[in-house]
Amino acid sequence: MSIDCEDQELLEGFLAETTELLEKLDDDLISLEKSPDDAELMNRIFRSIHTVKGASSFLGFDLLVKVTHKTEDVLNRLRKAELTLNPQIMDVILEAVDLVKTLVADIKAGEIVERELEETIAKLIPFLSENAVEARVLAPLFAPQKEQVAEPRQGASESEPPQPAAPASETAPLAPQIAAPVPEPPVPAPRAAAPAPQLKAVPAKEPAAKPAAAKGEELADNSTVRVDVKRLDDLMNQVGELVLERNRMIQLHSDFQTGLDPAGFGDDFGKLSKRLNFVTSELQMQVLKMRMLPVEKVFKKFPRIVRNLARDLGKEVDLQIIGEETELDRSVVDEIGDPLIHLIRNALDHGLETPDERLAAGKNRCGTVVLSAAHEGNQIVISIKDNGRGIDPDRVSRKALEKGLITEEQLAIMGSREILDLLFLPGFSTKEQATDLSGRGVGMDVVRTNIRKLNGIIEIKNEVGKGSEFILKLPLTLAIIQSLLVEVEREVYSIPLASVIETMRVNKSEFHMIGGQEVLKLRDSVLPLLRLQRTFNCAESTADRNTCYVVIVGVAEKRLGLVVTRLLGQQEVAIKSLGKFLANLPGIGGSTIMGDGRVALIVDPMGLVGGGEAALVRKSA
Amino acid sequence: MQTALKVKSEEYGGELIQLVSFNLEKEEYGINVLMVREIIRMLNITRVPNTPHYVEGVINLRGKVIPIISLRRKFDLMEAEYDKRTRIMVMEVVGELMGFIVDEVSEVIRISEKEIQPPPPVVSSGIEQECMAGVINQAERLLVLLDLEKMFSADERRIFSSVA
Repeated sequence: MSIDCEDQELLEGFLAETTELLEKLDDDLISLEKSPDDAELMNRIFRSIHTVKGASSFLGFDLLVKVTHKTEDVLNRLRKAELTLNPQIMDVILEAVDLVKTLVADIKAGEIVERELEETIAKLIPFLSENAVEARVLAPLFAPQKEQVAEPRQGASESEPPQPAAPASETAPLAPQIAAPVPEPPVPAPRAAAPAPQLKAVPAKEPAAKPAAAKGEELADNSTVRVDVKRLDDLMNQVGELVLERNRMIQLHSDFQTGLDPAGFGDDFGKLSKRLNFVTSELQMQVLKMRMLPVEKVFKKFPRIVRNLARDLGKEVDLQIIGEETELDRSVVDEIGDPLIHLIRNALDHGLETPDERLAAGKNRCGTVVLSAAHEGNQIVISIKDNGRGIDPDRVSRKALEKGLITEEQLAIMGSREILDLLFLPGFSTKEQATDLSGRGVGMDVVRTNIRKLNGIIEIKNEVGKGSEFILKLPLTLAIIQSLLVEVEREVYSIPLASVIETMRVNKSEFHMIGGQEVLKLRDSVLPLLRLQRTFNCAESTADRNTCYVVIVGVAEKRLGLVVTRLLGQQEVAIKSLGKFLANLPGIGGSTIMGDGRVALIVDPMGLVGGGEAALVRKSA
Repeated sequence: MQTALKVKSEEYGGELIQLVSFNLEKEEYGINVLMVREIIRMLNITRVPNTPHYVEGVINLRGKVIPIISLRRKFDLMEAEYDKRTRIMVMEVVGELMGFIVDEVSEVIRISEKEIQPPPPVVSSGIEQECMAGVINQAERLLVLLDLEKMFSADERRIFSSVA
């Protein structure tokens, strides 16, 4: 059934609003569970679901109305304190919200799919009965309740009343009371009417609908931007300034041509270029800001994930989120979601201990995971920190050996940093057995791949027994970057500053050869070197100087020293694509146009670092 | 190529095509005028490492970075010094702007489609058979009609995908 909506604009408005409300709702519900007495929060949740209901009934989305209506009823009772919140109720409400999300995604995709609503609705209904207050006391009863929902499929709706009576004898007298007022008729009625087609319709349509839904979501999320009116006004102001400066420039030029004041020209031109510089950089910041989203957009789904994970793992976790208002580029926001999920999952699964272990280790029962974001210069720094058991380097290296990812010789020359880097190898896992959650050794590889794509850096801080911290450093934007200009045998290349860790001047005699690889001893680690002149086949200039510069770049967890002839300085550059014919050159990420109009190529550190292990990556892919 | 500007002309009794003719190692070549975006003088070319030998590099064409290809190298002709007649023909090939370095651009000529003869079966020069669309034999000149789109759809794809 396709959607027949007269007013496309209305529909789009509905979708945008509903999506926003639902996102917020998840967050609010989790908070509500922590502070069930917060009346303001309760009311906000109620209002959100009420708004969704109202809007969907106005647009005639009956399925949505059905679910939201029942959810609203339950929430209403909670609000009036006729019901007291407990995890069982919350589970059902969350399930209902998920169902609403699925339905909204269907609408977004343009196809309404028959979905199984009754199961979720049936779970909500018990909480609506007058006696549901007592139902709260009988919390254990709700486990069988779920089975009971499945029951009617076998057509045994009449057998429902005795069911809840079974679990606890003391509750037996209450049981019929609970079960009897459950408004049964709405449940069996639609079921009895069309049990078969419902069951058939779902599996048949769902696979087809899923990809469509996912696609629709992506498109909708990226095609329009909401911009703060104030920002737009600021932008307009800046453009006004720019126009003024342009006029001044035209004036200056004509004055110069008529020879009015040739002496003062240089002076005036200097001032003008300073102002122009100021205005354009302001303008650039403004436009950049418009592309920015608060990282909250990604962070807000984590409380729910952490809640579910913690319960599945039997751990007690307190998730603290800091700096969710930090803004970063849309393209970056889209990419960091997955890596963060994996890192959080790891923190919960591998990092934190069970409550008993924690008590034994003299720690708080409840583990803490801190997710924080902050700006640091031209980068955004996201950190995931847990106070669990930390990463045991011995265990990591042993596992890597067992799995044949490294050899004994390789291990022997590794520092503690390199050992931790083993975590990122595809196929690495400390788990003996793969579970639903982890153990296949894919997660950290995903983290690495995505962070690389963004030209980011990963750092690991680790203290055995006290916890570990993963720090992601990402560039603010991908369109205009700060870069380090270097000269390689008379050719100018630009290296993204985000990946540059440090530069140093060294004498070529300090280079060592290990296994056919040029390396440099840098403090306590061994740094592999790459001569850009060789990689890029530059003609060697005759003057063979002994000193050169090494630019140390970091890509995800890897470090590499690039040997260049000279450092030219730092410049902000706009990235230009090389076109599709030259798009896949190894080590070249794009190009930029310099002040003198020449083209300089942008080095892609990821391509250079990745060159050696391309085989490994391909194997895992 | 088939989207060429076609003019019905009774005089020629066929459809007219406009060609830009250019020289390369004293030979004359023609290319459909509709393929050519602009003809510019030599600029500073930035070398791009690890590309096929005939890719000279990239230039900045009013804020757009486009690749430059040396037709001499592409056709395995002798290298020549760039002089004041050397030109870059900027063309749209397979939806992408590209520049081609030629010795000299001479004129725009009109020919009738009928004058185009199929390329000879054996091409002795270095030009690959596949990018030769035909030969035009007029009274005193012999023009080789090129189809760069053909050359780059097959050739480039092969080479660049092997790099990837």
